[in-house]
Amino acid sequence: MSVASETQSQALSGVVAAPLHFLMGALNAPMVFIQKRFGIGGMGAVFLAPNMLIFSIFVLVPVAINFAYSFSGGMAIFFGERHFVGFEQYQTLLTCADYTQPATCREDAFWQSIHNTVFFVVVQVTVLVLVALVTALVLNREMRSRGFWRAVFFFPVLLSPVVVGLIWKWILQRDGLLNAILVEYGLERTLWLAERNWAMFWAIFVSVWAHLGFYALILLAGLQAIPRDLYEAAMMDGTRAFRTFWRITLPLLWPNLLVVITLVLIRAVQIFDEAYVLTGGGPGTSTLFITQYIYETGFAHVLRNLGLASAASMLMGLVLVGLTLLQLMASSRRNREGRA
Amino acid sequence: MSHLSLQQITKQFGAVNVLHGIDLEVRDGEFVVFVGPSGCGKSTLLRIIAGLEASNAGEIRLDGRVVNDVSAADRGLAMVFQSYALYPHMSVRQNLAFGLENSRMPKAEIEARVMEAARMLLIEPLLHRKPGQLSGGQRQRVAIGRAIVRRPGIFLLDEPLSNLDAELRVVMRAELAALHKRLAATMIYVTHDQTEAMTLADRIVVLRDGRVEQVGSPLELYNRPANRFVAGFIGSPRMNFVEASVTPAGLDVGGRRHPVSDINLAPGASITLGVRPHEVDIADVDDGTLALEISLVEQLGAETVIHGKTHLGTSFTLTAPGQGRFAVGDRIGIALPSEVHVFDETGSSVPRSGV
Repeated sequence: MSVASETQSQALSGVVAAPLHFLMGALNAPMVFIQKRFGIGGMGAVFLAPNMLIFSIFVLVPVAINFAYSFSGGMAIFFGERHFVGFEQYQTLLTCADYTQPATCREDAFWQSIHNTVFFVVVQVTVLVLVALVTALVLNREMRSRGFWRAVFFFPVLLSPVVVGLIWKWILQRDGLLNAILVEYGLERTLWLAERNWAMFWAIFVSVWAHLGFYALILLAGLQAIPRDLYEAAMMDGTRAFRTFWRITLPLLWPNLLVVITLVLIRAVQIFDEAYVLTGGGPGTSTLFITQYIYETGFAHVLRNLGLASAASMLMGLVLVGLTLLQLMASSRRNREGRA
Repeated sequence: MSHLSLQQITKQFGAVNVLHGIDLEVRDGEFVVFVGPSGCGKSTLLRIIAGLEASNAGEIRLDGRVVNDVSAADRGLAMVFQSYALYPHMSVRQNLAFGLENSRMPKAEIEARVMEAARMLLIEPLLHRKPGQLSGGQRQRVAIGRAIVRRPGIFLLDEPLSNLDAELRVVMRAELAALHKRLAATMIYVTHDQTEAMTLADRIVVLRDGRVEQVGSPLELYNRPANRFVAGFIGSPRMNFVEASVTPAGLDVGGRRHPVSDINLAPGASITLGVRPHEVDIADVDDGTLALEISLVEQLGAETVIHGKTHLGTSFTLTAPGQGRFAVGDRIGIALPSEVHVFDETGSSVPRSGV
């Protein structure tokens, strides 16, 4: 280090250190008081308190309010002006002659949205996890411009979901870019967002495109954590490529894969913004997902049914809690096996 | 058992030449140790032999067959890695059996080989455990077991003891030597530890900057080092080097005379004398070839290691038998033996007519 840059860094550390020293001096007396008051054991709770407060205000309290609203009826927003209806909202949602036929249900839009969401989740999670895995495997190989390709796949993650929806809407709408290209090549225009199957296809495709980079990155980190020696040992052991993947890579990547599967699953159940911008739930209710149903029932319809929306939210919340518990169980089992 | 022949092996990483035309023969059943400082290319050479790295030029022959383009798996070699490279999610049994399963060997045969190796290495009680539940020494045994079950032509061992503590290293060293005898296998062993090289090797290959400096038995290298580098690398404590010049009456060592007459160099030539620490005698400070001011005394019980600065300003180490009474700051004389190693200005050993 040159003398000039050494002097600079000393000056910089002085600039940083001086206020820090002042701050630490100022905090000393209150910290001593808190420690005397709560004891060493209580200090953990003291440090956690600000976070817990924010978590309570913005998560626990809304959940509690939502829970209370799900047992109330009427159009009023303020809880005091609403009346208690017991399990009526849940009954409305869950009354169905045949659960596989949404049209036979009392709240058919709710069941249609569940059918759509289940289909979306099964296909999107499978496709997204597989494509993210393949992408990570490819990006993990020695190749030219590896950094560039990693950036290319990660770039969509930086976009807001609304922007993603708008970009693809611009490409896929009747007079959009894709149809313009098709017409240019003498092919027929297709109503990508106005035909049921195509609309669902593009909702899944756009969602995979937008989130692929993030999950590929998690898997890439997992792949890079696998020691190179193991692959060399496998090579010396005469292991073929597929068997190396199946017996070495996959088991060692499993903890990361489990995290990815859970996150993808939870986010897929919550699908809303980009799909809402892209298809608006249509055509008809063919891409109406559960979150959109809740949003429209509670806020967008002229007759706001906050009680029904809250009950649907609670049911959806239960599903998400169930998925999270599954993930926790799987990962703790994995940890136990790892130690054993 | 296999015979290995390397001819003009070169390796470059980008613009950096790591190996410069290595020639070497490894005979059936031989224990050959590659030794040298970090970055000398010994591990790279081992990886080229293994097939994990390709050479840029040269020929690798196994039992007379050129194997440059043969994959690592098909060369019939087994490697023990410095990190052991055990599969962490598999039990010890699965680790041992994995390579054999790849070759679609019958299950009974796999089981027999696994049990044989486990018995040999005393790891039978560990077969159900995972590597994370084993100590360093146990992991080392499993790694060796994984190589043994494959019954390879040559065992390649890349600094296999470097992650063990000093005590365990000595134990494992003895076990490796016994294993080599028992299996009568060809083994190539990489280390930077000259003690491991001296104690294990039938022949040592000393490497420096991608070149072979000398190949020979441990005692050949110790007694007749080809150059100053080998002389300094082999032997512990390391050899001392003292600058001197040739005169008609013997050697001039910083103004003091050393009576050696059988050096085949013309008077006036600058040379370096090589003296092992235990080869010198202690004399009166004014009588010795060198005067030494003691800077450190290490009492090892059976001998005393003395470090200091000579009257020439260079460092010097000597060992004295028993528990000598020396103190830091004492001045002593050092009488050099007549049988010193002599190196010319290029560092090459100078043959002496009397030796």
